[in-house]
Amino acid sequence: MSKSVEKLLIDVGSTYMKVSTSGHVEQHFRDFNQDILDDLVNKCGDTLKRFEKDDVHICSSANGGLTTLIIGVTQSFSLKYATNIAFNSGINIIDTILYQNIEDYSVPSEPVDVVIIVGGIDSHSELFSDSLYCYLEQLTYSNIVFVGSEKDAPVIKSKIDEVVVLPNIIDNRLHIVEEHLKEYLTNLYQQDIEGKEDIKHLYDITNNQIFSTPYIVNKALPHIDARFAVVDPFILLDIGGATTDIHYSKDLVDENIVTENEYDRLVFKKLGVYKSRESLIFSAKDNEFVYELLMHLKVTENILEEHSKRATKILMQLAIFLVLCKTSHYRKAYINLKLLAINSIVFTGGITKVLNQEEVEDIVAFFYKKVLTSEHKPRSIIDNNYDIWTLGAKELEACQ
Amino acid sequence: MKVVTGVVGNDIHVVANRLIDLSLRARGYEVFNLGVNTYLEEFFDAVVETGADVLLISSLNGEAEGWGREVKPLLTQYKKLDDVVMMIGGNLVVGRGDPDEIQRKYKSYGFDLVCHQIDLNTGLDMLETHLEKRTQESNA
Repeated sequence: MSKSVEKLLIDVGSTYMKVSTSGHVEQHFRDFNQDILDDLVNKCGDTLKRFEKDDVHICSSANGGLTTLIIGVTQSFSLKYATNIAFNSGINIIDTILYQNIEDYSVPSEPVDVVIIVGGIDSHSELFSDSLYCYLEQLTYSNIVFVGSEKDAPVIKSKIDEVVVLPNIIDNRLHIVEEHLKEYLTNLYQQDIEGKEDIKHLYDITNNQIFSTPYIVNKALPHIDARFAVVDPFILLDIGGATTDIHYSKDLVDENIVTENEYDRLVFKKLGVYKSRESLIFSAKDNEFVYELLMHLKVTENILEEHSKRATKILMQLAIFLVLCKTSHYRKAYINLKLLAINSIVFTGGITKVLNQEEVEDIVAFFYKKVLTSEHKPRSIIDNNYDIWTLGAKELEACQ
Repeated sequence: MKVVTGVVGNDIHVVANRLIDLSLRARGYEVFNLGVNTYLEEFFDAVVETGADVLLISSLNGEAEGWGREVKPLLTQYKKLDDVVMMIGGNLVVGRGDPDEIQRKYKSYGFDLVCHQIDLNTGLDMLETHLEKRTQESNA
C-alpha cells in the first residue's frame, strides 16, 4: 500500500495568497511592496519549510490573462470558432475584426498579446490581401498566429514576420478543430505566467509546473458534488481582485459547437474589486440598472468613491450583478447562458470572504427580478473555504 | 465545382436535404451541406469560407418567401459574392401560386435559378445548363 504524502497547495491571486495543507487553508493579503516569494516566505515560512519541492503545487491568476485580437473572414465560422477557442483557453478578447471591413476598424492603442488570423477551408485560397498587412503594420502585438487555409499559409508566412502557422481550425466540412490553437494559446498563457518575474521565483519552492487558477478551477467542476450539494445545471463565479471568471456547463449555451470539454469558462479581465476596481466602477456606471441596485442596497453612488469595508462589499455585489448581466440576453458579452434554467450558482474566490449568504442571494434575486423579470431563485452556494480550488489542484495532481 | 447547400429557416426537412446532397455529389460537385435549420447569414458565410461557386437553398415548409426577401439586403453586406450562382428550390409558396409569378418574385429577391415544385434532377439539369452558359459567356 502506498503512503499518501501531504501536499502543500498555493494559489497566488492578484490580491490574496491562499495556502492549503491537509484540511486547513490560510489566506493572506498580498504585500505589493514585496516580491511574491518573499511575501509568501514572510507569511507562511514555517509551513513552507515542512514540504519538499516535489510536494508543493502552485497556481496563479495574478497576471490577469492574455489579450487577443481576432481577424476572421466570417462571423458564423472563422470568428465564431476562434472566439470560442480563445475564450476556452482563458484568453481575453479585446476585439474581433471581420476581414472584409478591416479598413473600417480602428487599431487598438494598447499592445495586444496575441493576434489570431483565420479564414477559409484548406482548399480555398487568396482570402487575404494587402489590407491585412497594412492593418498589422499599425498594430503592436507580441505574438501572431495563422490558423486559416493551408493554401494561404505560405503567402501569410512570407508577408508577416514571426507568424506562427498552425493547422486550420475549420475542417473541410466546416466543423471546428480546436486542439492545435487551444494548445498554442494555453501554452502562451502558461509562458506568460511563468515569464512574470515574480512567478519565476516561485520555482525556488516547487518542482511542479505552475498552472493558471481558472484552469485548476475548471478541473474541479465535474467533481464538484463531492464537496457541495450542487444541483445541475450550475454556473460558478470566481470573483477576485483583478478578474471575474465564470465557468458554465455547455448545456447552458445554445451554440452547437461540438468540443471535448464538458465545461467552458470565460474570464472577464477588468471585473475585479481591487486591481480592476476602476474598470468595474466604469462598467457599473454604464449599466442602467445599477442606480436602482444601489438604491436597493440603501447606498448612493458616492460609495463607489470610498475605500472602506462597506464599499468593498458593494463592489462585490456589483461584480455579481454585472457578470450575470454580461451572460444574459441583456448586455451579452460573448455568450448568452440559459440563466432561467440554472439551479445553482456557486461562488468562489475573494468574494466569499467579503459577502455572506444573504448578501449574495439578495443580488441574485435582484438580477432575476429586474433583468430577467423572473421570480426564479437558483440556490447560491458559497465556497468559503476554497474547497473548489483544492479539489481542482488535487484532481490535476492525480492526473499527473 | 463547389456548392453550399442546406434548408433555410426553421425547416427540418432532412430527407430532401440528404437527397440534394447525394444528387449533387453524384454529378461531381464538391458539396458543403449545412443541413436543416440554417440561417441566411450562415449560407453566405459558408460560401465565403469555402469559395463556393453555387449556393443552393432549399425550402419545403413554405418559409422561403419570408427568408427570400432578406437575400438582397443581406447580400449587399458581402463584398465578394457577386459571381456566386444563387439557386433556390422546393416548395416556395404556401398553397398554390402561379409558377411564372413565383419565378419572377424570387428572381427579384436575387436568385438566378428558381425551382418551385420541380423534381430534383430537372432542377440540377437547369443548374448545369446555367453554369455551361455562363462559362461560354465568359469565354466569348
